[in-house]
Amino acid sequence: MTATVESAAGIRRVTTAKAISEAIAQEMRSNPEVFVMGEDVGAYGGIFGSTGGLFEEFGSARIIDTPISETGFIGAGIGAAVEGMRPVVELMFVDFFGVCFDQIYNHMAKIHYESGGNVKVPMVLMMAVGGGYSDAAQHSQCLWASFAHMPGMKVVAPSNPYDAKGLMISAIRDDNPVIFMFHKGVMGLPWMAKNPRSIGAVPEEEYTVPIGKAAVAHEGSDVTVVSVSMSVQWCLDVAESLEGTTSVEVLDLRSIVPLDREAILASVAKTGRLVIVDEDYKSFGLSGEIVATIADKDPRLLKAPVQRVAYPDVPVPYARVLEYEALPTRDKIEAAIAAVMTA
Amino acid sequence: MSEVITFPVMSKDESAQGVLATWFVKTGEPVRAGQVIAEVMVDKVSLDVEAPTDGVVTLLVEEEAAVSQGADIARIDP
Repeated sequence: MTATVESAAGIRRVTTAKAISEAIAQEMRSNPEVFVMGEDVGAYGGIFGSTGGLFEEFGSARIIDTPISETGFIGAGIGAAVEGMRPVVELMFVDFFGVCFDQIYNHMAKIHYESGGNVKVPMVLMMAVGGGYSDAAQHSQCLWASFAHMPGMKVVAPSNPYDAKGLMISAIRDDNPVIFMFHKGVMGLPWMAKNPRSIGAVPEEEYTVPIGKAAVAHEGSDVTVVSVSMSVQWCLDVAESLEGTTSVEVLDLRSIVPLDREAILASVAKTGRLVIVDEDYKSFGLSGEIVATIADKDPRLLKAPVQRVAYPDVPVPYARVLEYEALPTRDKIEAAIAAVMTA
Repeated sequence: MSEVITFPVMSKDESAQGVLATWFVKTGEPVRAGQVIAEVMVDKVSLDVEAPTDGVVTLLVEEEAAVSQGADIARIDP
């Protein structure tokens, strides 16, 4: 069930950033159609390290630095994918999608449908998401629900190095467009906040993590906590701190599209209590979709009203104190668990 | 014979203070030659440090400690 490799003696541990670049490198070695394109993906190695070391190994023909012209290079990626290549295109920050969304949701996502299934778009569009380091309203959003809302794209967001490598390999091999969202806090970068769960045991060989399958990251029987990406790490911290008091099951969605509704229903059927932790905006988003999944199936699964720890419907504040007032934190998760346990 | 690993000299300014940014191993763990055991940083430039040989590692400095370039950071015993 749980997908993370237990840290054992002699097993190498790497950062999520390294796990992602290693996945891309291994796919590039075995498939000449795979290439990378985006801003600062070359010699710089990606501003959050997602393409570190690739330029040195593969050179400028396959690791292509682009101008700041997102519509242009995402369109070029779509064209290459339509012709049978497997581009990994980096948008840098998800917040920049506003300048190029026509290429993404009208072309990348719809060409397969509009061609009656005759034309495939096997493309990965990766991007950094999330806040917590005072990068303010235009560089800190998650926005996975915005992409998930539009049909035609798969959307994944790993919380740890093992899943990041396996999901990237799955994304490159998938014949559909995949949005690959890495939270800056899970990358294990030396110049960001230290999150120990962002470094973990990762096999050197290639493996896949299936898109659309959640993982039980911590087994429990009293309450289900559903989360994705960075927030999973906070949920695990809380689940471990409550051991002996409350038995918390943490479900790491790993994919937002397809959403693993069976895994959500199975866990809630077991515990009867649900907390959703989501760093994306609260209204009209992932947390509401999860609640609807329960309501559609059988609202009697729930013994208590649902608690949602999600981003309030405001732009991300710059001031550190205000930003943490808005972000999901361990304290808020713990309070939400207490609320569903006593309801 | 134990082998000592030093903080790499990364900067032309050899007096520039380094930081042991991340340990990927713990004291007492077996490591293999070529395994990345640490990430170190000088002036915001980071570098991986690999184990030079197989053995059991002993860490000599704490994570996030300021370390002089060239200083001992770990020992590997066969």
